[in-house]
Amino acid sequence: MRISTAQIFDSGNRGISRNQVDLFKLQNQMSSGRKMLTPADDPIASAQALVLTQSKEVSSQYLRNQDGAKGQLGVVDAQLTALDDLMQNVRDKVVQAGNTTLSNADRGFIAQELESRFSELLGIANAQDGTGSYLFSGYQGAVRPFSATQTGANYAGDDGQRLSQVEASRQISTSVSGGELFERIRNGNGTFATSNGGNVLGGINHGTGVIDQGSVNDLTLWNQALNSPGFGDVNIQFFVNAGVTSYRLYDELGVELSTTAALPADGLPFTPGQSISMQKTTAPAQNFGVSVVVQGTPADGDRFVVSPSTDQSIFTTLRNTINTISQGISTSAGTTSTEFTNNLAANLINIDQVMANLLEVRTSVGSRLNEIESLSNSGADLQLQYATSLSALQDLDYAKAISDMAQKQLQLEAAQLSFKQISQLSLFSML
Amino acid sequence: MSSGLLSIGVSGLAAAQLGLLTTEHNVTNANTPGYTRQRTVQTSLVGLATGSGSVGQGTDVVTIERMYDKYLSAQVNTSQTKLSEIDAYYAQISQIDNMLADPTSGLTPALQEFFNGVQQVAANPSLLSARQSMISSAETLVSRFHSIELRLDELGNDVNGRIEDAVSSVNSYATQIAELNQRIVIAESAYGQPANDMLDQRGQLINELNKLIKVTSSTNTNGGLNLFIGSGQPLVIGTQAMVMTAEASNADSSKIVVGLLSATGDSIELPDNLVVGGELGGLVKFRSETLGRTTNELGRMAASMALTFNAQHALGQDLLGQASGDAGFAADFFSMATVQPTVRQNANNVGNPLVSAAFAAPTYGAATDGNFYTKLTTSDYRLTNVGGGNYTLTRLSDGKSLPPPPALAADTLANISIYAEANEGFKISIAGLDAAGNSYLIQPTSNAAQNIAVNSIIATDSRTVAAALPFRTSSSAGNTGSGAISGGISAPGFDTTLLPAGGISVSFVSGTNKLNLTDLVAGQVITYKVPGGNEQSTTVLAGAPTSTLIDYTQGMTISVSGMNFVMTGTPNNGDSFKLQRNAAATTDGRNSLALGKLQTQNTVADGTATFQTAFAEMVANVGIKTRELRVVGAAQESALTQSQSARDALSGVNLDEEAANMIRYQQAYQAAAKILDIGSKLFDELLQLG
Repeated sequence: MRISTAQIFDSGNRGISRNQVDLFKLQNQMSSGRKMLTPADDPIASAQALVLTQSKEVSSQYLRNQDGAKGQLGVVDAQLTALDDLMQNVRDKVVQAGNTTLSNADRGFIAQELESRFSELLGIANAQDGTGSYLFSGYQGAVRPFSATQTGANYAGDDGQRLSQVEASRQISTSVSGGELFERIRNGNGTFATSNGGNVLGGINHGTGVIDQGSVNDLTLWNQALNSPGFGDVNIQFFVNAGVTSYRLYDELGVELSTTAALPADGLPFTPGQSISMQKTTAPAQNFGVSVVVQGTPADGDRFVVSPSTDQSIFTTLRNTINTISQGISTSAGTTSTEFTNNLAANLINIDQVMANLLEVRTSVGSRLNEIESLSNSGADLQLQYATSLSALQDLDYAKAISDMAQKQLQLEAAQLSFKQISQLSLFSML
Repeated sequence: MSSGLLSIGVSGLAAAQLGLLTTEHNVTNANTPGYTRQRTVQTSLVGLATGSGSVGQGTDVVTIERMYDKYLSAQVNTSQTKLSEIDAYYAQISQIDNMLADPTSGLTPALQEFFNGVQQVAANPSLLSARQSMISSAETLVSRFHSIELRLDELGNDVNGRIEDAVSSVNSYATQIAELNQRIVIAESAYGQPANDMLDQRGQLINELNKLIKVTSSTNTNGGLNLFIGSGQPLVIGTQAMVMTAEASNADSSKIVVGLLSATGDSIELPDNLVVGGELGGLVKFRSETLGRTTNELGRMAASMALTFNAQHALGQDLLGQASGDAGFAADFFSMATVQPTVRQNANNVGNPLVSAAFAAPTYGAATDGNFYTKLTTSDYRLTNVGGGNYTLTRLSDGKSLPPPPALAADTLANISIYAEANEGFKISIAGLDAAGNSYLIQPTSNAAQNIAVNSIIATDSRTVAAALPFRTSSSAGNTGSGAISGGISAPGFDTTLLPAGGISVSFVSGTNKLNLTDLVAGQVITYKVPGGNEQSTTVLAGAPTSTLIDYTQGMTISVSGMNFVMTGTPNNGDSFKLQRNAAATTDGRNSLALGKLQTQNTVADGTATFQTAFAEMVANVGIKTRELRVVGAAQESALTQSQSARDALSGVNLDEEAANMIRYQQAYQAAAKILDIGSKLFDELLQLG
C-alpha cells in the first residue's frame, strides 16, 4: 500500500470539514428548536406538518366562529328573556282583566298598560345587534322588521337563518328570524281554533254558551279532513225548540254535515258540558278527529266556529286582546259577559301559544348554545392534540441534540489533533 | 580499461543526475492538480563479450515514465462527472428547499389568513371592514403566490445563465485540448518519448471538462485523443474542436438549451436526455425534473384557487343586491384575464396561426352540497399538426399521447379540445391557417401563480364581494301542514333573469300528491331527485301556462335553473312556499360560508387534494428530491474519494518517498563520481610507471 502526501492532507481536511458541517447543522437545530431545518431533512414529516398546521388553524378558526356565534346567540337570548318577562306580564294582566267583577274603567287601565307593552314588544322585535343590524329581520339586516298597523304589525323581514361554520360539517344558525319568533304562531290549540260565530239572526250569541279550546282525538283524521277538497271552517249551530236544545254542524258554505233521517228534526240532542265531535254524518261519512265542549246554555241560533289553525302574529294576538279588553262588557256595544269571556279565552289561548312558541325558540337557542359549548370543549382538546402532533413532528429533542453535540465536538477535536500530528511527520524535516 | 571505467562512471553520473532531476520535478509538482509522479526507467548497458566473460558497460536511462493508470483516471472522471451533476442539481434545488423551509413564510399562513378573512365575512356579511380585510388577505395571498413564482422564475433565469457560462467553458476546454493534442503529437513523434507533462495537462483538462459535462474519449495511435458527449456526438476530433452552443429552445424560447454547431453553421439542439453528467447535466435535469414541475404545481394551485373560488363566487349575491345576470355583478373574485394557459409557438413553425388555450370551467360536485374542483395536471403538453387536419396532443410528464385508446373518430383539434376540456382541465382553439408539422407547447399552469390577481372591481369596492345567495325561500303564513322548504343553495346555471320579480311559488296538491310550481319562465329546466333516486327533469314550455306539476316525495331535491332546495315534511293541501330574489340581504353570509368551505374541500387534482395538501405535496416533492440528492451526493462523493485515493495511491507524490529517492540518487551520484576518481587514479598509476 502506497499513499501520497496529498492524500494525507485531503483526508485530514475532509474529516475536519465533515465534523464541522455536522456541528453547524446541530447548532442551527438547537438555536431554532426545529428538527427539520428544510423540508429535505424529512420530506414526509414536513408535508404532514403543513397539513396539520392547516388543520390546527382551521380548527382554531372554528373556535373563533364558535365564540362569535355564542356572542350573537347571547344577544338574541337576552332579548328572548325580555320577551318572556313581557309576555308573562301580559298574561297576568289578561287573566286579571277576565275577572267579571272588574268595571269597564278598570279594564280600560289594563288595556292602557297593555298598550305600552305593545310598544315595548315592538321595541324588542326591532332590536339591533352591536353592528347595527336588526336581530329579527332574517337576511335583511338593514331593514327594520316590524312596523305597527291597525291590526297588529307588518313583518318586512324574511325567514333567513344567519349561519356560522362552527365545525367542519356543522353550520349553526346564530339568529332567530322574526317570522319564527313573532309571526309563525299557530292560533287556537295549535290544530284548530274555536270562536264565537254570532247568532244566525245577526249580532252576537244570545245564550250563555261558552266554548272551550277543544281537543284533538285523532290527528290523522284531522289531516285527512284538511286535505279533503272544500274543507274549511265547521259551524256549530244550536236550536232551542220547546225547551229542548239541540245542535247541527255545517261546513263553511252552510251545507249541513250532520243530518240523517234517524235524527230528531232539530238535530243532535245537546246537554251542557257534553263533547261535540266534529264529523260529517252525511254520505260519505267522515270523522274529523277533533271535538269541542260547550258549557252553559246556548240560545236558539247561537253559533260557534271551529276553524283550522293558521299562523297568527304575536302583534295581532296582542292587538286583538287589547281590543277585547278595552271593549269590555257593555250592553251598548252589544257585548255580553259570555261573549267577553269567550273572546278573552280565545285570546288567552293565543297568548299561551305565543309563550309555548317562545319556549320552543328559547329551547332551540339554548340547545344551540349548549352545542357550541360542547364543540368548544372538543375543539380545545383537538387544538391540544394538533399541537402535540405538530411538536412531535417538528420539535427538536434537546436531550439527544446536546448529547450529539458533545459527541461531534469530541470527534472534531480528535480529527484536528490527529491531523496536526500526522502532518508534522516529514522526512525532509530530518535531513 | 580506464576509459571503460570513465565511461561507466559517466553513465552512472548521468543516470543519477536524471534520477535527481525527476525527483526534484516530483517534489516541486507535489501539489500540481493532475500531476502524475514520474520516475526514471534505468537499465544496464549490455556487456562486452570477452574471453573472461561479459564485461558490464554501465547504466542507461531508457525513458522517464509517468506512474499512470488510464483505468484509474477514467474512474475518477466518471465519478467526478456524476458528482458534479448531483452538486449542480443540489445547489439549485436546495434554494427551493430553503425557500419552502420556513413554515411561517410559505404559502400556508397566507392561505390560512385568506380563508380566515372569508370566515369573517361569513360571520359579519354586513360589515364593510370584514369584507375589506378579506380583500386585503386575498391580496396578501396573491402576492405570496407572485413572490414564490418570482423566485422560481429567477432560478430559471439562473439556470439559463449558468448553462451559457458552462457552454463557453466547455468550448474553451475543447479548444485547449485540441491544441494540446497537436503539441503532443508533434512532441512525441520528434523524440519517440511520451510527452509526460502535456499528457498530464490534457488529462487535467478532461477532468475539468467532465465537471461540466460527461465526455468519453478514444485515443489515436499518434497520441492524439477524441472526445464525445451524449450518445457519441463529437466534441474534439484530434486537433479539431467542435463548437457547443447555448441558444433559446425552438419549442420554448424562455429556455436556453445546449446544442452543437453543425458544419453548415446551424445550431442543432441536443435533447435534454443527451445532456448528461457534469454541471450542464445537473442544470438541465433540475430544470426538466424539478423546476418545471414545481412551477406547474404552484401554478395549478393558483389556477385551481382562482377557478373554484370564482365559480362559487359567481353563485352569490353582493351587498348591492346584484347577482349573476345583473349588469354590475362582478362574478370573478380573482381576475382571470391574465391567468390563462400559455401557448408557445415552435420557432420552426410555418405561417402564423393563433393557437390559444383556456381553462375549462371547474367541475361541480354534488347537487346540494356543491364542491368545485379542477382537472388540471402539473404537466405541459405538446400539440402537433400531423397534417390532414389532424393533430396529436402529448402530455409531456409521461409522454402519453392523448386521448388514450379507443381513438377518436377523427383527431381534429375540436375533438382533441373536447377531450382535454373533460380530462385535462383546458381547451384549445385555433384561428388562422395551420401548416402540417407545426407544433405548439401548451403550458396550462406555468404562469398562473405569476398572474393571479384580485379582480380590480372587487378590490376597489368591497361591497361587490358576493357573500349572500341570490334567492331565499319562505313558507306561507296560512300553511297547516308540517311541510318545510330548505334555505336553498345556488348552483351553476343560476341566472337572475330566470327568477321572476315576484318569485316562484311551490304549492302542494294533496289529491294527486304533487307539487305545483308556478310563475315559471318558459324554457326553464326543472330537475328533481328523490333521495336515492335518479334525477328527472322537465322543461317549461313556451306559451303553455308557466307552471308544472311534479310528484312529491319527502326529502326530494328540486332544482329550478340552478336554485336548489329540499322539500321535507308533510304539507297539507294548498300549503305553499315561495322562492324569491334575496333583496336587501345584508346579513346573509351563505355564499361566503360556501367559499370558506373550499379551504377544506378537495378542489385540486381532479378532486383529490385541498389547496393545502397540494402545497404540502409540492413541498414534499422538492424535499424528497433534495434529500435523495443529498444522500446520493454523499455516496457519490465517497465514490469519488475512493477512486481519487486509488489514483493518488499510484500517481500521487509522496514527499517522504521523494526525500528517500533524493538521498538514493545523491549517493548513486557520489558513487559514480568515486568511479571516475578511481579511474583517474588508475590512469595516474600507469603514467607513473612510464
